[in-house]
Amino acid sequence: MKAERPKFIGARIQRFEDTRLLSGTARYIDDIVLPNMLHLNFLRAETAHATILDIDTSALADLDFPTWVFTGKDTAGLSMKAHQDVPEMQYSEQPFLAEGKVRFVGEPVAVILAEDPYKAEDAAELVFVDYDPLPVVGTMEQARDPEMPPLFDGWKGNVIVERQMKGGDLAAARAAAAHIITRTYRTQRQAGVPMEGRGVVAHYNPADRVLTVWSSTQMPHLVRTYISEELGLPESRIRVVAPDVGGGFGVKGQVYADEILIAWLAMKTGRPVKWIEDRREHLIASIHARDHEHTLEAYVSADGRLLGLKADITVDNGAYSTYPFTSAGEPGMVGKVLPGPYDFQAYEATFRAVATNKCAIGTYRGVARPSAVFSQERLMDDIAAELGIDPFEFRLKNIIRQFPYKNVLGFTYDEGSYAQSLEQMRELLAEDIAEAEVSKSSATRRVGVGIACFIEQTAHGTPDFTRRRTPIETGYIAARVDMSPDGEITIDLGLQSHGQGLETTMAQVAADALGMKPENVYVRHGDTMTTPYSVGTWGSRGGALGGGAVHIAATRIADKLRTIAAHLLQSKPDQIDLVDGRAQVRDNPGSFIEIKKIARIAQRNVEQMPDGMTPGLEAHASCDGPRDGTYANAVHAAVVEIDILTGKTKLRRFVVIEDCGTMLNPLVVDGQVRGGVVQGIGSAMLEHFIYDSECQPLTTNFADYLMPLAPEIPNIEVHHIETPTPLTPLGAKGLGEGGAIGPAAAIANAVGNALGTGVAETPLNTNAVWKLSQHIRETA
Amino acid sequence: MRPASFEYHRATSLDHALELLHEFGEEGRPIAGGQSLVPMMNFRLARPGHLVDINRLPLGGIEIDGQVLRIGALTRHEAYFNDPLIARHFPAFLDAVHYIGHPTIRRNGSIGGSISHADPTAELPAVAVLHDADIVVRSVQGTRKIKAVEFFLSAYVTAIEPGEMVVALEFPLPPSASTGSFIEQSERSGDFGTASIGITLQFAGGKIGKAAMVCSGADLFPIRAPEIEEFLVGKALADPGAAEAGRIFAASIDPVDDHIASADYRRGLIAELTRRAIEAACTRALDKS
Repeated sequence: MKAERPKFIGARIQRFEDTRLLSGTARYIDDIVLPNMLHLNFLRAETAHATILDIDTSALADLDFPTWVFTGKDTAGLSMKAHQDVPEMQYSEQPFLAEGKVRFVGEPVAVILAEDPYKAEDAAELVFVDYDPLPVVGTMEQARDPEMPPLFDGWKGNVIVERQMKGGDLAAARAAAAHIITRTYRTQRQAGVPMEGRGVVAHYNPADRVLTVWSSTQMPHLVRTYISEELGLPESRIRVVAPDVGGGFGVKGQVYADEILIAWLAMKTGRPVKWIEDRREHLIASIHARDHEHTLEAYVSADGRLLGLKADITVDNGAYSTYPFTSAGEPGMVGKVLPGPYDFQAYEATFRAVATNKCAIGTYRGVARPSAVFSQERLMDDIAAELGIDPFEFRLKNIIRQFPYKNVLGFTYDEGSYAQSLEQMRELLAEDIAEAEVSKSSATRRVGVGIACFIEQTAHGTPDFTRRRTPIETGYIAARVDMSPDGEITIDLGLQSHGQGLETTMAQVAADALGMKPENVYVRHGDTMTTPYSVGTWGSRGGALGGGAVHIAATRIADKLRTIAAHLLQSKPDQIDLVDGRAQVRDNPGSFIEIKKIARIAQRNVEQMPDGMTPGLEAHASCDGPRDGTYANAVHAAVVEIDILTGKTKLRRFVVIEDCGTMLNPLVVDGQVRGGVVQGIGSAMLEHFIYDSECQPLTTNFADYLMPLAPEIPNIEVHHIETPTPLTPLGAKGLGEGGAIGPAAAIANAVGNALGTGVAETPLNTNAVWKLSQHIRETA
Repeated sequence: MRPASFEYHRATSLDHALELLHEFGEEGRPIAGGQSLVPMMNFRLARPGHLVDINRLPLGGIEIDGQVLRIGALTRHEAYFNDPLIARHFPAFLDAVHYIGHPTIRRNGSIGGSISHADPTAELPAVAVLHDADIVVRSVQGTRKIKAVEFFLSAYVTAIEPGEMVVALEFPLPPSASTGSFIEQSERSGDFGTASIGITLQFAGGKIGKAAMVCSGADLFPIRAPEIEEFLVGKALADPGAAEAGRIFAASIDPVDDHIASADYRRGLIAELTRRAIEAACTRALDKS
C-alpha cells in the first residue's frame, strides 16, 4: 500500500501552521473568553500528608464581591480511577477535591470561583484549612518500609505494584559468565514544562443539553469519554475542543481530574468556568516524570558477549495513579524495553512502583525510556571499561544484526540500522575521540565523548495496550478525508497537533494519494465534534498511524476518482494515474480529466458517474499499531569539555543519527529530533524537581527549576538513515520522542569518559560534575 | 500567581515621587523596570499597596561629578556596555555587567532597582560593595549617602527606610594605576551567580599597592574579604599568590548548603574564582604597566 511515486512525502516543506503560530494569531486556551464567565482558583494542599480537620470559608461572606466555593464534600464520589487490572496492583482513586486527607503538596483541596481571576486568587487566601499532619512517606526506601503507614486505607504497605518479566535461562547465563557487573543507576524527578501550561474552559448549554469543554490537551476524545462516564452524560452531548496547544510533551497526554471537575462546575453554577494553570501549579501538581532507580546485573562471557541481564527497577510514583497509563506504566515500560538493541538470551526484570507523598508520575516525552536507556547505555560503557574494550567495539560485538529479530521477551523487532549507525557515528567522532584521549593527561581541562545507542518501540497499537491491561485499552488513529465539489480536500484527523506539524505532514500524505498539492488540503483536528474517535497524539504515533489512516482514507477516494475517470476517459481504473491535479491515462497522458472536475461530477453532476455509483468523495479509515509496534533506532553522541576546577561542563557537540523509516517531511523530523534533544539535555544536566524530607517542593519556579536555555545548547547535528518498515502503510516509524531518549545517557557517558569514572545518576549539573572530578583535583 | 491589589501612581517629578512615598510609608514602593519587583508581587511575596512609577523621572545617566562616577538610579543595564567612563575607570564593573540576565532584563532593569532589590548574588550589589560606592537615597527629609558595605543587610534587605528611594550610585574614581576584574559562575548564562568574585588593584613598580575583593555566594549579601585585601598588598603582579589567597579565603567562609549547590562546592568554587579573578586583574595590571 505504499505510495507509488511520492512527490510530497519526503519533501522539506515549511510548516503551514507556522504562519499562524509565529504571527500571534493562534488561539490558545487562555484566548477563550465567554460571556458571564467565572474564574476558578484552586486552593492547594500546603502540607504533604495530613488529615483535613476543617475548611473554614466563612471569611468569604465579608467580601464585597460574590464567590462560589466547593470542597471535597461537594464533589464526594467524583474521582480519577486509573487502575491496572492485575492482582498485584493496589487500587486507589484520586478524588477531584481532597476528601478527608491530602497526599501531596499541591493537591486540590477546594476551588474558589469569582467573576475576575484576581478576585478569585484574593478570595482563595481567605479560606483556611486546618490540617493534622501525618507521617510523610518521602523516599523509595520509606515507601518500601512495611512499618510506614500506607497512603490509602486498606493498602498493605506502599508498594503499588510489583511484577516480573523474564525470558531465557538466567541461571545458565550467570553460570557461564566470566564477568558479572552490577551497578545501580538513578534518574531524577522532573516536571514536563510545555511553554503553555494547562487550562480548561467549560460551558453547558441547557438549550441543546450540550456540554462544551475546551482543554489544552493531547487527547480530547479520551477526555470526552471520561467526562461521560464520570458525570453520566451521553458522549453525543459532550464536545471537547483542544484549541491551539502550546506544547504537550506527554504532560497533556493524561486526563486530569480538573478537566472533569470544571465541566461539573459549569453545570453546577450554570455559568462558564475558566481555569488557567500558573507555572507554580504546573510545576507542583500537573505531572512529574522519571525518578527511577535501576540495579542491573550483567552476565558477560570472557570474549565480551552479553549473556544475560537481571534488573531490579523502582519508580517513585508519588501519591496517585494517572489516567489512562496508570502508575504501573512507567516501571512496566522499563522492564519491557531494557533488552534494547542488543542480542542476548536471558533476562529477568522485577519492577515496581511505590507510593510517596509527591506529585504523581505521568507520561513525559520518552516515557521511562530516557531512564531505561540511561541505565542500559551507562551499563554498556561500564562493562566495556571493566573488560578494557572500546565502547563502540563492545556495542558492535553485541548489537542485533539480523531482522526481524525476536528478543528475549518475545517482542519482534522490524528491520533497523543499528550497526550501521554505530559505525557511522564512530567515523563522525574520530577527531573528538582523539582529542579526549590527549586531554586525559590534564588535571584542569578534560574532553569526553559519549554515545547512546537505542531503539524505541513506537506506534503502540491495540495489541500492546491489551497486554498492559490499563484503561488506555486501544491505540488506533482514525481520519476522515473529504474532497469537496471544488476539488479541495479536508482531513478531519483523530490526532491533535500541539507542535508536531501535522497540519503539513498529513496534507503531504493526502496530496500524494490524491494527485493534488498539500496547499489543497485543510487539516482539522482537536475537536471531538468534527474529528473521528481516536486516542490522541502521544507515544510517537502521529506520522506512522495518523499518516497511515490518512493514506488509507485518501486512497479510497483516489480509487473512486480513478473509477470515475476511467468511465469518462474510456479506460480502466488501474490505468489511471492521479498526478498534478489530473487523472490521466497512464500510457496516454494527453487523455486526462482534471481532478476537480471529477470532484464536481461526483457531487454535483452525478448523472455523469458510472451507473449505480454512490455520490460523494468521503472516506473514514483507521490505522492501528502493529502487534509489537515498529522499532525506530538512533545513536546519540555528546562531546563535553569540563573545567575540572569549577565543574563547568560545556556541551561542545551533539550528534544524532536516527532511523525513523520513511520520513514524511525531513524538516519536521529535524525539528522533532532537535526539540527532543534539547529536553534531553535538560534531563541530563539541569532539570531536577526537588522535595525536602517533608516532601515540600523546593523548585517551584523557573529560578529554581532550571530548563535548558539557548546559550547552553550546541548546534545539534542530525543525520538520517531511512529503513522503511513493512508494518505501517507508509513505512514510517515513530519519531516524536526519540530525541529526548538518548541525551542523558550520551552526556553521562561523555562526562564519564572525560573524568575516567562511572556516572551513576543525573542531573550532571556543575556541582555534580565538580564532585565527580574530585579524584583528579586530589591527584593533581 | 497574580499580584494582590495595589494602586498605581505615575510620578511626574522627583519631588512628587518622594511625596507619594512619604505619604504611603511602608505601603509604597517605587517601580522602574519591574524585573525583580513584579515577579515578587506575582508570587505575593511583595505586597505593596501603592506603586510609584518613576520611569518618567530624569534619573538616568552616567557622568563624572568631581571625584566620583555618578550613575543615576534609572540607568538601564544595557547602558553600561558601551559606556567609555565605565570601560576606562571600572574594568571589574564592565566584566560584571556581562553576567547580568538576558537582553530583555538588560533593557528594562535599572541599577536603582537591582540595588534596592538586593538579591544575594546579583552583580550590581557586588560591584557597588567592591568599589566602595555610595548609595544615594532621598526622601522628603533630604538626601543621605549610605556606604555600599553598610547598605546590604541580608538577602533582599537593605538600609532603605520607608519613604526613601535610591536616586543614584556614586563610585569614587580610582587612580590611573589601577585595574580590576570580576568573574562569576552560574548554572546557566544569565542566571544569578552560584558565586562571583570581584577584585580591584592599585599597583606600582610591578607590585600590588592597595587591593579590594568582593564575594557573592559566600553569605546572604556580597561581602568584602579584608584578609585577602591585606594579603595581596606588596605581592608581585607576576606572582600574586592567587591560589593561596583562594584557599585562605575559602577557609574563612561558611556558605549555605542548599538544593542548588552544596557548601563544599561553593567553597571550592569560590577558592578557584578568587584565584582566577586575582590572576586576571594582575594580568591587566601588567598589560597596563
